[in-house]
Amino acid sequence: MAAYEALREAADAAWAPFEKPSRTLIRVNLGTCSLVVGAQETLDALRASVQAGELEADVMATGCSGLCHAEPLVEVTQPGGPSVLYGQLTADRVPALVERIASRVLAHEMALAVAADEPMGDVPPLGSLPFMRGQVRRLMANCGVTDPLEIDHYLARGGYEGLNKALRMEPEQVVAEMLESGLWGRGGAGFPTGRKWEFLRTSERHPKYIICNADEGDPGAFVNRNIMESDPHLLLEGVIIGGFASDADRAFIYIRDEYPVPVVRMEKAIEDAYAKGLAGKDILGSGFDFEVEVVRGAGSYVCGDETGLLSSLEDRRGMPKLKPPFPAESGALGQPSNINNVESYANASLILRHGSAWWASAGTEENRGTKMFSLSGKVERVGVLEVPLGTLTRQVVVEMGGGVPEGRTLKAVQSGGPLSGVLPGSDVDIPLEPGPYRERGTLLGAGGLVLLDDSDCIVDLCIYFQWFAEDESCGRCTTCFAGTRRALEILKRIASGRGREADLELLKLLGRIAANANCFHGQGAPTVIASTFRYFEDELMEHVRHKRCPAKRCAGLVRYEVLHQSERLAEAAAICPVGAVVEEGGAYRIDQESCVKCDACREQAPYAIGLVDEFGV
Amino acid sequence: MAGSAEVLARVSELIGDLKPDDVALLKGLHRLQHEFGYIPKDAIPLLAAQFNTTPAIIFGTIDFYSELRQKPPAENVVSWCSGPACLLKGSGGIRRALEATLGCAMGEASADGKYELQLVQCDGTCQLAPLIRSEGRYIGPLSSSEAIKFARRLKGETEVPVPPAEEGDAAAAEASE
Repeated sequence: MAAYEALREAADAAWAPFEKPSRTLIRVNLGTCSLVVGAQETLDALRASVQAGELEADVMATGCSGLCHAEPLVEVTQPGGPSVLYGQLTADRVPALVERIASRVLAHEMALAVAADEPMGDVPPLGSLPFMRGQVRRLMANCGVTDPLEIDHYLARGGYEGLNKALRMEPEQVVAEMLESGLWGRGGAGFPTGRKWEFLRTSERHPKYIICNADEGDPGAFVNRNIMESDPHLLLEGVIIGGFASDADRAFIYIRDEYPVPVVRMEKAIEDAYAKGLAGKDILGSGFDFEVEVVRGAGSYVCGDETGLLSSLEDRRGMPKLKPPFPAESGALGQPSNINNVESYANASLILRHGSAWWASAGTEENRGTKMFSLSGKVERVGVLEVPLGTLTRQVVVEMGGGVPEGRTLKAVQSGGPLSGVLPGSDVDIPLEPGPYRERGTLLGAGGLVLLDDSDCIVDLCIYFQWFAEDESCGRCTTCFAGTRRALEILKRIASGRGREADLELLKLLGRIAANANCFHGQGAPTVIASTFRYFEDELMEHVRHKRCPAKRCAGLVRYEVLHQSERLAEAAAICPVGAVVEEGGAYRIDQESCVKCDACREQAPYAIGLVDEFGV
Repeated sequence: MAGSAEVLARVSELIGDLKPDDVALLKGLHRLQHEFGYIPKDAIPLLAAQFNTTPAIIFGTIDFYSELRQKPPAENVVSWCSGPACLLKGSGGIRRALEATLGCAMGEASADGKYELQLVQCDGTCQLAPLIRSEGRYIGPLSSSEAIKFARRLKGETEVPVPPAEEGDAAAAEASE
């Protein structure tokens, strides 16, 4: 359509100075993960240097390129040369960098990588960094490259081409393209996205709603956050395509309240899309009208369940509903609706832009496309990355992520959030696909991968997940709200040294009855306990039978003791918040009554104070 | 201040344009919390009227969401991340240290109303784990000792001076026993 060509032409002109800069261009990653380590201050310091005339350069903000462990990340491009990336570039290091840029000398010692195929001096190519090797960045192609607040940047790099193509097709053709691609929902349930769109398309009752589930509540998962704050239009375009394909009228992008940066950036993206005629009335002159808005959640995990989200949109408690009716018949406000995850819509933009054949060229036969994962926990390199589905888990967590700290062994990988289980460290050679995970009693989930090492306690993790499930239970089903509470009580009892053999059967029983809960929250809550029985039964039994926590993490099974008198004990006594490090006649001891087991004393005097259980040090 | 005619007038102003069955209640609640720092109880009947529902439904909704406050925040709110990356890296000790130092349990305020410990969910800033947040700042990775020092500074306590240990002090004391 002519309207799109005109937009594209203007956008190309706006993007040209960033594509091929005629003077030094400095990019600063500005995402949630970099803002918390001072990226805004870095950006301000660079801009101040330019204003003060110390540097002739353009400075721009971009989204996050996924290397959270290296933030604040700064990328410097000299005209005609490759870009050089600098990690951990906090504001205090800006003057040194500015000096080197101004004198046109490569700051080797500060550089992380160079965006070229060959190394530059001793600076390695970006693609050779372990974190980047093996990534196929399609969804993340703009992350760290464009300014997420500039719609022109997105347009110039092929953005909204998919929407433009879709608008020239019949809705059923768009759905067919989606089905052809083989994309299944990235939110965790894995239902084919095209089929969902078809359900809504064939529903006749208007208004019809498109809903984007951006309530990424799994602790340790932050891939949707990365898309929304680094390339918000990629999601928005997919939402609008979904609206056209299913003949919908209005879209709600439901973002969790814990994500303030994505809220702001999505709202800005929507505003700009309206201004360019890409949303609202008569989109790109096609006659298709479609309204889009952001809805901010207010802190509730079950609103990430699709029917919980629907209730939340209906101005009441976000309690998951009974199905049927399914959302395509009766969804938000009783109207036909379709709900997909952020990453599913983002993929739809790429499927329409490049075609389903191109899209399906990554991944495996059954599981096509790429998938984003976030790495956290006991991992060397925390961050967000994108790999073809079917990539081996080991490659992602050990090779790219760098694995657990030196001297430790990988105990388990927790994927799929609190309603999922764990994959034991010995099984990490399985591919990142739903099937192999399900066979091992756990879920691949929406993208969070949390690593545990041998110093972590499985009972401790179970307590955390049961607490989470209990705390977030909506209260509808007894097997959920009371079942998780009972499981939590039992686990806490075990962790305090009062566990009994009968507890094991009770836990198993609670696991079985959980299947009776209405939604997946209640059904999935005991999964981690089942994983524990399956893979870490010895460790659990050690707690129950011998009242011993092998990792010494369960506070009720350990105590702090002064093992050696040392000068450092004065500092231990000074730091103790409850005065439990007591001095008597020149010798120190720990008062067990008042000790809260916060570990601060041992941090001060690691040689003198030890963690002791009934079996000794 | 809640309950005054002024507050009620302001509430009406903030929610006046919102309609029932239009996905607008959360928007209204966020506006109120942004304005007052919490949702004043007296706003509930006004919300019920505006959204054509009962005060019970409105209260139930407010109560359901963990990010909506029903009480004004304390002067100093310290947020403790409950996420798994923080847990694995020792947030349990940090929590116990903060509770002991600030004199309040998680989710509660200290007796003098000055300090409050708030539990927050993981937002994926896990490279800082274990972390706490205070006044919009993220602080991490944090040891229990650092958490205690932070809380003491917050309370305006000067660092407890450690008496310089005399040479062989502890060993001598041990020997003399």
